[in-house]
Amino acid sequence: MSALLLWAWLFTLPGLLLTALGVGRRPGAASQGGPPVMLIVALAALATGAHAEYEIANWLPFLPDGAFHLRVDPLSAVMLAVIGAVSTCVYVYSLGYMDPHVEDPDSPERGPNVRRFFCFLDFFLASMALLVLAGNIAVLLIGWTGVGISSFLLISFWNEKPGTLAAGMQALAANAIGDAALLVALVIVPAGCGDLLTLGTAQCVAGPGGATLLAWLILIAAAAKSAQGPLYFWLPTAMAGPTPVSALIHAATMVAAGVYLLTRTHGLLAAAPGVAMATAIIGVLTALGGGILSLQQSNFKRGLAYSTVSQLGYMFAGVGFGAPFAAMFHLVTHASFKALLFLTAGVVIHALHGREKLSDMGGLRKDLPGAYAAFLVGSLALIGLPLFSGSFSKDAILEAAQVHDVLFPLLFGGLFVGVFFTGWYTGRLFFGVFHGPRKYLGPLHEPSGVMLWPLVPLAVGAVVLGYLEWPVPILSTVLGETVGHAEAVRPNVNTLIAGALGLAGFAFSAWRTGPQPAALPTPAEAHGVEHETEHYDEPLEPGAAWATWLADLSYGIANPIARFQSGHLSRYILVSVLGIAAILLLTLTAQPMTGPR
Amino acid sequence: MTSEVLVLATSAVLLAIGATGALIRRNPIAMLMSVELMLNAANLLLVLGARVRGNVDGQAAALIVLVLAAAEAVIGLGVALALFRDRDRVDVDEPAEVHG
Repeated sequence: MSALLLWAWLFTLPGLLLTALGVGRRPGAASQGGPPVMLIVALAALATGAHAEYEIANWLPFLPDGAFHLRVDPLSAVMLAVIGAVSTCVYVYSLGYMDPHVEDPDSPERGPNVRRFFCFLDFFLASMALLVLAGNIAVLLIGWTGVGISSFLLISFWNEKPGTLAAGMQALAANAIGDAALLVALVIVPAGCGDLLTLGTAQCVAGPGGATLLAWLILIAAAAKSAQGPLYFWLPTAMAGPTPVSALIHAATMVAAGVYLLTRTHGLLAAAPGVAMATAIIGVLTALGGGILSLQQSNFKRGLAYSTVSQLGYMFAGVGFGAPFAAMFHLVTHASFKALLFLTAGVVIHALHGREKLSDMGGLRKDLPGAYAAFLVGSLALIGLPLFSGSFSKDAILEAAQVHDVLFPLLFGGLFVGVFFTGWYTGRLFFGVFHGPRKYLGPLHEPSGVMLWPLVPLAVGAVVLGYLEWPVPILSTVLGETVGHAEAVRPNVNTLIAGALGLAGFAFSAWRTGPQPAALPTPAEAHGVEHETEHYDEPLEPGAAWATWLADLSYGIANPIARFQSGHLSRYILVSVLGIAAILLLTLTAQPMTGPR
Repeated sequence: MTSEVLVLATSAVLLAIGATGALIRRNPIAMLMSVELMLNAANLLLVLGARVRGNVDGQAAALIVLVLAAAEAVIGLGVALALFRDRDRVDVDEPAEVHG
């Protein structure tokens, strides 16, 4: 099975072709096969040891390591299982969410081109699988860029809506920074050193800059993909895309690719302790900042997006503390409960005819009981209530922070404060959406079963995935050989403190949002007549001033050059003719023509 | 004046006419014709070379150029046709607004 899993990046391509060719009465039905196959093959490979390699040596001979190198090991198999599981749920859910047959004239989220949507998703999964299966930087870069492009395509999917194209471009620009870093890493490694597992070995850090430069490049690439540190700004803006995309790509899988890369190359981080420390600091700061910024959001999905930024910060901190296993564990559980939260958010938004503002939401617990239960489970897992999955994995990271000695009190304390903020912003969303008075009084768009059933396996995962480690350490046994000295996680006093802090934040938000008399809606609003057409009118993230500066600079350089492209055909021809004449003249005068008669 | 020089002169004149036409004409059809003229000037030179050297390499190359010219004309005419459909006056500088 491991040998079959090597080709997981081809699993969704038949579905892509069939969907593109118009097969299947329901758009997207033909694509449904790919993700379950990926999940099953990944699990089967895990059961049988998960070891396989494939290599075409010297595939790109101009690179230091230009082999086409694929590798299945427990780490990639676990990652593929996560991707397969989440995407199976999201694919089914999308059938309902994107269904053109329930086209609602009120909803801005209707689109005629559902087939295109599923083709993009299939392309994304193919790229993501290639990214995960890559054995060296060259193959990684192909998948890395592929997921960036599919991210752009899917964020801008409703491209007639104002702001979505700009949001996609912003994601693309942020990703390009990471791609560039990876490209430099690809070129500067010594010959034959592209293998991701051996990047940290002595012979491979002998290049210019040594381990530190290489580790920084990998860190920049990972931070761009995972929206960490100053590169956080694109992820909240990316919420302009359809909600299933936010769940699959911008919460569960693609944004976790940075964490995956750092876990994969943890040997390199171990060889560059300064960069590892930087990773930890960036992670903790992002975890805190994401939590605080989530509290400022007026848009439901953006609130969740900042939560993703914050949780990815925890994972980065885990890797930085030298505990890649803890980061991977949190990645697995987070994929489950964050996908659940996003899909539930999609149910709510769908029910409200595409309204995403928190000010339109409230009091939905009676009308959307399924979504209410699902969001509650997801929230409890996110804040780390003991016995829910999030508590086990977050605890593993806190544990790792504790054994770390440098800067220990600050970072450790920062993570605990972050737990409180997690509870606070989660509660703010939860109580704001489902409790309190109803704000939107028009008829709700009832979710269909095809949108509710995919929540069930994710909710189950949000509860039980923590038990992969306790009482029997299964995941660390499986991953132990690839991520190195994984330690089994045992619930201890930290678990209780973190759980209590999270609950305190949750309760604090309940007290803050409390029952307040809401302003009565105007009659027009009450009947749902006056619907907002602009849901993405919020400006792009303001925190990216330096990115604007960078963009201005490159525009300033590119603009004078771009002027040469006037579009006037005769000018082009004139330049060509003059150029050819000049070349001819130079050749003729430089050396008299010689050769055979 | 040998026949070779005559052919050479013809080729040069054809190329000059073609280049001038491609530069100053605004009608895409006329421009395509001018380009054909230039290609055939080159062809003439190739055939002359084959004759002088006594082998058929140049003739083979000339055949390839002929096929290439046909393919180029198809695409060029296709673009010209699309332009004709799109607007009344056909001027290759008019759609300059489509530049990037």
